[in-house]
Amino acid sequence: MTAEKNTPNRPTGGCLLTTVMNLTVIPLILMWTVLGIMLFPLIFVPWKIITRWNADRIMRQFVWLYGRGWVGIMAPFVRFRRNGFKTEKIKPPCILVVNHSSFFDTYCMALLPFSDVTFAIRAWPFKMFWYRPFMRLARYLNVESMEWTQISNTAATIISKGGALLFFPEGHRSRNGKLQRFYSGAFKLAIETGAKIVPLCLTGTDELLPPGRWWLKPARVNLQALAPVDPRAYRGPDAHRTMRRAVKNLMAQSLALQRHPNGTGHPGEPPAESRSDSIRPVNRPYPVS
Amino acid sequence: MTDAEIIALINISLTEEFELKMEDLKPEALLFDDLELDSLDIVDMVVVLESAFQFKIREEESIRQIRTLGDIHNFVINKKNALLN
Repeated sequence: MTAEKNTPNRPTGGCLLTTVMNLTVIPLILMWTVLGIMLFPLIFVPWKIITRWNADRIMRQFVWLYGRGWVGIMAPFVRFRRNGFKTEKIKPPCILVVNHSSFFDTYCMALLPFSDVTFAIRAWPFKMFWYRPFMRLARYLNVESMEWTQISNTAATIISKGGALLFFPEGHRSRNGKLQRFYSGAFKLAIETGAKIVPLCLTGTDELLPPGRWWLKPARVNLQALAPVDPRAYRGPDAHRTMRRAVKNLMAQSLALQRHPNGTGHPGEPPAESRSDSIRPVNRPYPVS
Repeated sequence: MTDAEIIALINISLTEEFELKMEDLKPEALLFDDLELDSLDIVDMVVVLESAFQFKIREEESIRQIRTLGDIHNFVINKKNALLN
């Protein structure tokens, strides 16, 4: 295993760095998770008394903070960037759709500049007993177990209260780096509620921890927000399908640009105007159409 | 609507909804194993068929027996015939 320079989605360190990363980061993540589980009940009551927030909102904020801790633990080995949120004026209410290539994609949602995000997820994450009570308290949508009318009503309530929903429309992690088939749920809800779809392109997590690998590698992770897509532009019985195709095309183009910005067929540095050494938003980094 | 037209409409509806390739839509194709549909897709499939043929099928018991694309074709053809009689 050797270091590969000038390839942002490749490991930035060699075998030693990877070993150090795994020996430090994995125990720290486990400790952070245990600490979070133990601390939440103690923090919850004073938090509720002080803020008077609903329990589910507190839980979602806590999940976001847990994710920020994860980002901090990863930061010595992973360069995180966040682009496009300021220039595209991304803010709730909205429906976020993200490409999916790693178990850690959900953790990367701590890079979002807002915290009240309700995840729409499949049934299997609810089987992780150590996360399950928290996901239920946060009122995450179990899109495999809930009836569509229940999902639709819950989504309408979330949007009407100014919240954000988050979907991984592929449903599974991609094993070849390409976008897979998109499920329709997020787009149906956008048509039904009128909420804009915000496409998010996440790169680098497939290098950090792709499906089928059990150890981490240093990586450069970039969360790119594209311009929101207004569902009012789509009408008729095929509206959600047309919108789904349009959003998928936008994401595919943006991901291709991020991975092969020079058109060389090889990954390279993002365009100069998009470079950012932190997760601070920067000016419009990539064309979106 | 002839049986061939029904089959064609089913296939077109499924390719559009599930991003399937028309050449993969063989009657013997298993929905889960060959076409790689899953439990989330079944709900959408019912909605697609109801929309395409303007009838309700979500309460039908026999829909649970469907395993292949050919089963869908036969199910819809039988349903249309039953409605006509």
